[in-house]
Amino acid sequence: MRASLELALKDLRLLSRDRAAAFFTFVFPLAIALFFGYVFSGTTAEPMRVAAFVESASPAADTLVRALSEDGAFVLHRVESREDGERLVRGGTAAALVVVPASYAAGVDGMLTGAGPHLGLVVDPSRRAEGSMLVGKVHEVGFRTVFSSMADPVQFGRALDRMEASLKDSELSASDQLAIRVALGRARSMAAKSSKDAGAGGASGMSGWKPVSVDVTELAMRPGIPANSFAISFTQGVAWALFGAVLAFGSGIAEERQRGTLVRLRVSPMSPNGILMGKALACFLTCMATEWLLVFFGVAFFHVAVSSWLFMAVVIAVTAFGFSGLMMLLAAGFRTEGGAQGAGRAVLLVLAMVGGGTVPLVFMPPFLRAASNISPFKWAVMAAEGATWRNWGPDEMWLPLAVLAAIGAVGLTAGTALVRRSI
Amino acid sequence: MIRVSELRKSFGSVRALDGVSFHAERGEVLGLLGPNGAGKSTALSICTGLIVPDSGSVELGDAGSPRDAPARRLIGLAPQQIALYEDLTARENLVFLGKIHGVLDPVRRADELLDMVGLLPRARDRVRTYSGGMQRRLNLAAAIVHDPPVILLDEPTAGVDPQSRSGILELVQRLAAEGRAVIYTTHYMEEAQRLCSRVAIVDQGRVLATGTVPELIAAHGGESLVTVDTPSGARSTRTREPLREIERALAEGGATAVRIDQPDLETVFLALTGRRLRD
Repeated sequence: MRASLELALKDLRLLSRDRAAAFFTFVFPLAIALFFGYVFSGTTAEPMRVAAFVESASPAADTLVRALSEDGAFVLHRVESREDGERLVRGGTAAALVVVPASYAAGVDGMLTGAGPHLGLVVDPSRRAEGSMLVGKVHEVGFRTVFSSMADPVQFGRALDRMEASLKDSELSASDQLAIRVALGRARSMAAKSSKDAGAGGASGMSGWKPVSVDVTELAMRPGIPANSFAISFTQGVAWALFGAVLAFGSGIAEERQRGTLVRLRVSPMSPNGILMGKALACFLTCMATEWLLVFFGVAFFHVAVSSWLFMAVVIAVTAFGFSGLMMLLAAGFRTEGGAQGAGRAVLLVLAMVGGGTVPLVFMPPFLRAASNISPFKWAVMAAEGATWRNWGPDEMWLPLAVLAAIGAVGLTAGTALVRRSI
Repeated sequence: MIRVSELRKSFGSVRALDGVSFHAERGEVLGLLGPNGAGKSTALSICTGLIVPDSGSVELGDAGSPRDAPARRLIGLAPQQIALYEDLTARENLVFLGKIHGVLDPVRRADELLDMVGLLPRARDRVRTYSGGMQRRLNLAAAIVHDPPVILLDEPTAGVDPQSRSGILELVQRLAAEGRAVIYTTHYMEEAQRLCSRVAIVDQGRVLATGTVPELIAAHGGESLVTVDTPSGARSTRTREPLREIERALAEGGATAVRIDQPDLETVFLALTGRRLRD
């Protein structure tokens, strides 16, 4: 066992020194996940698609929505309910949902009393950068619309009237109330004079003030629905991670044979089974490493949610086992390095593509989804989806895990027997 | 130390070995001399347990057959093909092989061997950056990383420069002097003549003759050719006693030059097979 471990470590060291193989094993799957993640998220240089839901119609809300629509940075979709808006965000159609609450109009009116208007913003966690930009834009548009209401002498006068009225019920002293009344009177006359200036460029002198408070909410993952496009693309990346690992080691025995080092291993005290165990162990560890790397990146930087870490650990271990078996079959099938690299790549490529490596399983037409059952990659991707956005329990998870375990057992048994005959 | 008896092995219709027997004791270098395809490498492969013979046996002292792992520990093999990991350094290659052979302190052992083969200054360089001669020396070091008492060297000087060849031959002599049994296959007659305590002439899967070089020459080399140049011309005589022939020529007078062409292993091979060694 110790010698097998040493053999596996040697293979991992050789993998780390083969830049092309290391790239395809560790970097390429990540690149694929990012590529498809961005493709599916619809991130482009075009205006940001934003959904807007107005809880209760009011002139202030209409002004805000109109201003957002007219802003060149957005393409606004008005939706009839918050759920409709969240669905658009989840599906990647909209980057965020602006919720104009029923209290918005009252907030605008009560701004000078300190309450101020509130807006809600629901964002896709994977599109935080766009969300942050959107917050800034909403502040800007909010400022403009609020200020425009101040520039309207009628609206502003109404607001001042309400504030003056509220003084009557306050506990302020008579002298304080008098001072405020004087200030409000001056504000009334200043607003009347500067309404045009304020409407044109009032923001310049009040840059630190935020007339609209924006509550940002990240969209919570809903079981059975991917929280964002990266939830799909990172599980899709699992297929390519396994592809790289199997390909890197599938030709390992052929390489040892061609280099002549297999003879050295055979002359050593290691048994043929020990040699093959070392090869399978190297593949197993690499599959695990590259899958964990994807999970780490997905969770840390792209808000891929893992529904159960225990399941994820089991899925990764069983998947690595299954694909170690597949590697052994590949090694048994091709005696030369060229054969394993060439034909092996072709076979794996077809299986990976059919198994959800390019077109995600969720987007496949039914006939292709049925055909994908022959691909071990499909079961690996499904299991990864089960441990992430599908939020599967044991009842649903057992099938892909059982299939992968069976592939591993059959592959290792048959592959080992076949390879033993050739070494 | 290693005794090979009546090995027979066929690959399909090709008979690679046809009753091959030889043995090597501690401190001895046994040369298997023969042309390419004579069966030398097949015999070595059977000695390592990599190939199962159709019949015959290989015994490693009291340890038994090399098909058994404990007996295989007694063998070190330097294959004809350089069998190293090119993307590992020399030290990493030896440390890895030391570990799978269960060497207690593989790093120290690796450095010892690198020093022995003159590669310690390049220990941290990847093998792919080595010259052919350096790779050959490392290939030999890799064979003895676990300090085996029996060393099988399959044409260890193939394709190397004269300087590296000389270094390898000295190393082999040193290994034998330290008490190891060495079996050395080659088709270079000069190497066998310089290095081997005994030589087995192998051709077409059979051992044609075994003995020390003088014994083989005496038995199969035939007579020396003595050529005496005189003013009237050159006179050649075949004799088993060349010195006596020269003495007689000198006594007769008139000799301006004398040349002796002694038989060597090439002559022995020619006598035994009817072909030259490198045909």
